[in-house]
Amino acid sequence: MSVTPGACIGCRACELACAAAHMAAGATVGSMTRPPVPRLYLVREGGTAAPVACRHCEAAPCAAVCPTAAVRCDASGVVVEPARCIGCKACLAVCPVGAMALAEVQDHGRPVLRRVPDPAAPGGFVEEPAWLASKCDLCRERPAGPACVGACPVGALSLVVPGEVRRVRLLAAARAMAAAASGAREEGR
Amino acid sequence: MSARPGIAPVIAIDPNLCTGCRRCAEVCPVGAVSGPQGQPQAIDAERCVLCGQCVQACYAFAAPFDEPAHDPAAIRRQRGASEAAGPVFAAHARCDLDAAKALVADPSRVAMVQCAPAVRVTLAEEFGLAPGSLTPGKLAAGLRRLGFAVVYDTTFAADVTVMEESAELLARIAEGGRLPLFTSCCPAWVRHVETAWPELTPHLSSCKSPQQMAGALFKSYAASLDGFDPAAVASVSVMPCTAKKHEAARPELRSGPADLPDVDAVVTVAELAAWLKEAGIDFAALPGEPFDAPLGRYSGAGVIFGATGGVMEAALRTAVALCGEGRETAGPESGIVFSPAGPGVARAEFELAGSKLAAVTVSGLANVGPLLEAVAAGTADFQFMEVMCCPGGCVAGGGTPKLLPGLDVAAAVAARRQALCDHDRALPVRAAHANPAVTELYAAFLERPLSHRSHELLHTVYGGAAKGGHD
Repeated sequence: MSVTPGACIGCRACELACAAAHMAAGATVGSMTRPPVPRLYLVREGGTAAPVACRHCEAAPCAAVCPTAAVRCDASGVVVEPARCIGCKACLAVCPVGAMALAEVQDHGRPVLRRVPDPAAPGGFVEEPAWLASKCDLCRERPAGPACVGACPVGALSLVVPGEVRRVRLLAAARAMAAAASGAREEGR
Repeated sequence: MSARPGIAPVIAIDPNLCTGCRRCAEVCPVGAVSGPQGQPQAIDAERCVLCGQCVQACYAFAAPFDEPAHDPAAIRRQRGASEAAGPVFAAHARCDLDAAKALVADPSRVAMVQCAPAVRVTLAEEFGLAPGSLTPGKLAAGLRRLGFAVVYDTTFAADVTVMEESAELLARIAEGGRLPLFTSCCPAWVRHVETAWPELTPHLSSCKSPQQMAGALFKSYAASLDGFDPAAVASVSVMPCTAKKHEAARPELRSGPADLPDVDAVVTVAELAAWLKEAGIDFAALPGEPFDAPLGRYSGAGVIFGATGGVMEAALRTAVALCGEGRETAGPESGIVFSPAGPGVARAEFELAGSKLAAVTVSGLANVGPLLEAVAAGTADFQFMEVMCCPGGCVAGGGTPKLLPGLDVAAAVAARRQALCDHDRALPVRAAHANPAVTELYAAFLERPLSHRSHELLHTVYGGAAKGGHD
């Protein structure tokens, strides 16, 4: 995900859309079936604002340090498998952009629970929501692509496809060089 | 418009949550929101018309990773909002659920409820259904499950409004009264005239809005039908509108010998949805039930009040019929077709009772300025003007379910409008004067439109907000 510098107005639409895209929800805020937990984070600092999300590193340090192989990389980015996560926070410690969070997560539409000893009943357990690694998954289940990109009211967010970025930059550079060369020829006349 | 002591303002922006994105300022039709980019915004209460468009636009919510941390549950409690109300946002409307619940729970009161036409095409969205899902039967059933003794409908009162306002228009034309006549159903529009164009207040129809007419009839006609003391009637309304909360509290919108408020509490569609969830009512599983008779019987004319152009079309259906000028067309039921005449404005010219007339409808308060300038300058070339503050009409009101970011708002509003049009077309009676419950009301109680009793109960004198205002 890329943010056009200076374009973000800090409205939090991206965070809300992200949260809604990762739960059962209809068209309205009130139809969200649980509290919103975004997977990208609006940061406001010194008069500017920008949402920060996982960069889906090719050699992802979070995946490298995960002791249970809960963080894995595949062709569509870096993803957390809640069922394998033990909430050890190693990934949080190594993420260079702070994109990994600890949150109440869902797996297949249901909250992931953990069992803790029940102080009221020796030998017994109670279940409570587990706080596990939570991060952007580029809305891989969503046919329309990342919800945040579609939700930004000022078009400040875009999905970066590295090959496409390179193609556009090469083309721009070639045009600039061609223009410079033709300018030099004009001056030489 | 200073808030009454101890009563929170209808619309507010929480500076702890506001990020200063200024989307609220962009949608405010009267420029009442101000503040530097990136800083919390403030509302000019004198100018604000309480339409709640800022509430609809605001996405600055309390998220779990915020620093400093916010406690959404504590914020909901502080705002008097339901625990089932979902995330909390910077721009928000006052929640009146506690007041409504107390009225329903009071054994000394008979709780009567009304719901605006737009409620039946928006409420289901809060339960995951698509925009424009039409659920009048489930709405009536849900209100009964919440404990309302009598489930009436604002749509009936919209039919009554048509009777009164059509008669007023024809009377002003015949008697050389103040023209153009402005509709007065939209309290945000009324407040704008009173505060920004006080000299044009006499152009406003003296009709109360359908909400207030319904309330006044609850505490008179409906009370007498069932043998209740008017003071024992608790009058609650469900509205797609935040300005209705302010309207209900206006001192000039009380009636009867005891000077009772027509409406005691107003909850929005979003608040009703939270109330139903809190009560554990499975909305999707509710059966379809009818509204109670007679004040819950409505025609298609009343239904279309919820969409821009609807009040005009509803009034013209009756005006045309009363003048004995049936028109056969494939277009609207009234036979009068409006054409675009500028941003948010539509216009039609037609003949009525031997007079050549022109009428305009305005969708979105921000588009009304040039027309008001023409009226003030005496150059307005039309006799009747409908204004709805919210773009698209009440189906896009500040109290409707807030759409998630990324959704096509125009498409959702269009679907809601279409649902009202479909509902109108499917009803056996499509004009207010043909609604048997309305006929009976006049025969048994009001006598005729603009009668002495109609004036006492259903009409008022606007202009109060310009004299210092009230909340």
